[in-house]
Amino acid sequence: MRRGIKLIVSIVFVFLTVPVPAGEILIKNASIHTLTRAGTLENADILIRDGAIAALGTDIDPSSAGNVIDASDKQVTPGLINAYTYLGVREISEVEGTDDVSTADEQFSSAFNIFPAVNPGSTLLPHNLIHGLTHAVVAPESNQHVFAGQGIVLQLGKPSSVLQKSAAMFARLGSSSSEAGGGSRASSYLKMQQALADTQEYRTNRHAVMSGNWRDLSLEVHDLEALILVIDGNLPLVVNVHRASDIDVLLALKRQFGFKLVIAGASEAWRVADKLAEADVAVIIDPMANLPIDFDQLAARLDAAALLDAAGVTVLFTGVDFLHTHNAFLVRQAAGNAVAYGMDKTAALKAMTLIPATVFGFADKAGSLEPGKQATLVIWDGDPLEIMTLAEQVIVKGKIIPMASRSTRLRDRYLDLDNEREIFYRK
Amino acid sequence: MNNRLGIPGFCTVLLALALNNACTDKTDKPDVITGQEDPFPSTYAPAATNPVLLNNATLLTGTGSRLDNTSILLIDGKISAIGREIDAPGNAVIIDASGKWITPGLIDVHSHLGVYPAPSHEGNLDGNEITNPNTAQVYAEHSVWTQDPQFTLALAGGVTTLQILPGSANLFGGRGVTLKNIPSRTVQEMKFPGAPYSLKMACGENPKRVYGGELKQTPASRMANVAGYRTAWIEAADYSNKQEAYAGKQAQGEETDPPLRDLQLETLAEVLRGNILVHNHCYRGEEMAVMIDIAREFDYRVTAFHHAVEAYKVADILAEHDICAAMWPEWWGFKHEAYDMVEGNVAMVDAAGACAIVHSDSAITVQHLNQEAAKAMAAGIDAGYNITRAHAVNWITSNPARALGIDALTGSLEVGKMADLVLWDGDPFSVYSKTEKVFIDGVLIYDRLDETRQPVTDFDLGIIDPTDERL
Repeated sequence: MRRGIKLIVSIVFVFLTVPVPAGEILIKNASIHTLTRAGTLENADILIRDGAIAALGTDIDPSSAGNVIDASDKQVTPGLINAYTYLGVREISEVEGTDDVSTADEQFSSAFNIFPAVNPGSTLLPHNLIHGLTHAVVAPESNQHVFAGQGIVLQLGKPSSVLQKSAAMFARLGSSSSEAGGGSRASSYLKMQQALADTQEYRTNRHAVMSGNWRDLSLEVHDLEALILVIDGNLPLVVNVHRASDIDVLLALKRQFGFKLVIAGASEAWRVADKLAEADVAVIIDPMANLPIDFDQLAARLDAAALLDAAGVTVLFTGVDFLHTHNAFLVRQAAGNAVAYGMDKTAALKAMTLIPATVFGFADKAGSLEPGKQATLVIWDGDPLEIMTLAEQVIVKGKIIPMASRSTRLRDRYLDLDNEREIFYRK
Repeated sequence: MNNRLGIPGFCTVLLALALNNACTDKTDKPDVITGQEDPFPSTYAPAATNPVLLNNATLLTGTGSRLDNTSILLIDGKISAIGREIDAPGNAVIIDASGKWITPGLIDVHSHLGVYPAPSHEGNLDGNEITNPNTAQVYAEHSVWTQDPQFTLALAGGVTTLQILPGSANLFGGRGVTLKNIPSRTVQEMKFPGAPYSLKMACGENPKRVYGGELKQTPASRMANVAGYRTAWIEAADYSNKQEAYAGKQAQGEETDPPLRDLQLETLAEVLRGNILVHNHCYRGEEMAVMIDIAREFDYRVTAFHHAVEAYKVADILAEHDICAAMWPEWWGFKHEAYDMVEGNVAMVDAAGACAIVHSDSAITVQHLNQEAAKAMAAGIDAGYNITRAHAVNWITSNPARALGIDALTGSLEVGKMADLVLWDGDPFSVYSKTEKVFIDGVLIYDRLDETRQPVTDFDLGIIDPTDERL
């Protein structure tokens, strides 16, 4: 069955042709992974009203709903979240004009925010959305600075939009930060430490600094202002770091300044898992990234996610590999592999739903299925972690998403090559 | 047909089996002396081992069949019997494979393991000779670091054969080599005995970006790419003619000096003679069509287009010319020429009757080539095709074997073929399934359940803990 062609198109058709303002949808007889204490509900129903989940349970009366979707033998999860992407800020990596991920600008570091670059019209968004990805954390990158700036949370949908304009501060330590540091990772560390110390000093002497009656600080005022959010614990600091010793160093900085720390990449995080759990540091990991691809990542392994989870570390998923933007939906494959290598299945589902929503501050809206939350969910034709399972219908804030992308449109016009003169009239 | 590669009778074998056009349509060329024997011959020989009987598994044969509750017997490196009730020799190791699956060893036609090893750094980025758009004279095997830990990771993923290719910066990147994924001290010991060499060619953005964009020389455009190929083939044809003229004179007893060997032209001339297979990195449909015309102009074959993101647009043309397309399930968007990706690509090429291959080009996905095929299968079903596991497994076994010119030897579970196979602990099209045992030429090379049968590269040894292995 072609997605969006048989079963679902009839529903979409109804929605597109009959105006049903704030209509209700009832999903019947599904296996529902709530990712709350309610666990997984079998043969259960979800009632959607005004874009939110109105009720969850069995035997909800279909007469109250405008549209009923029979989801027998289907499974439902919250929309998936990839915790580290460049979605919306990169269309084609090699086409400079379409790629705003990285800046060589020297003026701004922590003050930089990727938000104005976000393109809700990017073709990557429908492509990922129809595979079940409904939210993505979008990070900036910098080779010039230890602090790359602020990232956002993207809500995929029709239309897509920015859910959080400043979701986290991004930085890096270790060998990948050496360039910004001048050649040694110790310089990068020093720059980070000095920036945080100067931010503390700035906050208590703001007036004097602004009026020029203070010593020169290591950062400009605009960057210091942004870092106040970090040292006040209002903005998570996401640090790209791999080597266990660099993570140790970072944990010492956290003890000194008390910020809310998330580490990303984190190939060797499992080696210091107990310390990370104790310090309540969340870890963004691609479970399939098991290559010792540089000397910071010698201990990369396929069961890293399972080891972290077993140690009580808060785990968030990204992946797979460099495809974490164009095919950010493949985070689902990464999660499946984490389970194959020992992680608990529910924990793996949460690592790409509830946990990232919680860590990046939008769990009041998304990340689990419970009354009052956004009705942002996916109906799968089977086990949501299984590789051959397909997203049969995606619903975002109560709205049924047409299961089409530029990619499915191209596919459909080339399915029949017999009459080649007609290809370009197929729309 | 004479032996030019130190591969006794290889093409003759294929010719007899009518399996490889690369050999069949070149038989009218006169014999000539070219590179004589392969200067770097394979020294691989399988270790001695007892026969192995795997009982009562589900077999995906790589020939389109699924055989349930079936046993398979491996003797002297070959598959010796497949059936319900097989009597094992007294010295056979008997493995109960109930509930488990067996596939041919997986084959990745597009790999850079060893030439782009891990850890990755300037000191070992050895896959691209970015000094001239034509470097047909280089051999990928001379860059292979046998202790690349990515080889053993791929082995744990069930990959028994890999084609190691030079990169795609150049119009002619150099010779690729087919390796058995055997832990070895030397690359010669990994070389697949009897496998022909390949020539890596590249279309499109890469050569023009590297030379026109970065180095300010030709080619700076796709049209110059094409001029570059054609110019090189003209020289190669001329070189080949001179060699043949020399051989002709020699045959008549004339005393004459042989023409000076030219490594670059030697590789191209061997393509023209059908002894080296062309593996062509090419994303766009119209470029594939142009490359097919160039092949006709100079009378050689394109064996496979790699990274064929737009193969679905010209699937009928590929089928007509008997050209394989090696594809990813869903990679896209890193270049404009990779923008028109459709996930049904593999299935659409397959349905058109062309030889469809799922390749990795990645040290990550090569470890999960079964999952790559599963995604392509799911996308194909989603596009409306009826595809079975027994068929989809061909995309990572027998079809790549065909593209490498080794399908008479491996790539399927058939009596007489090399006993290259994988025992899976479940359905190989499930994300939860893992390899349990990997056999190459009947030898147990990897066993997930037995640490003593898990190879560890020199690199992995003691690098994190002096008394332990990396993993």
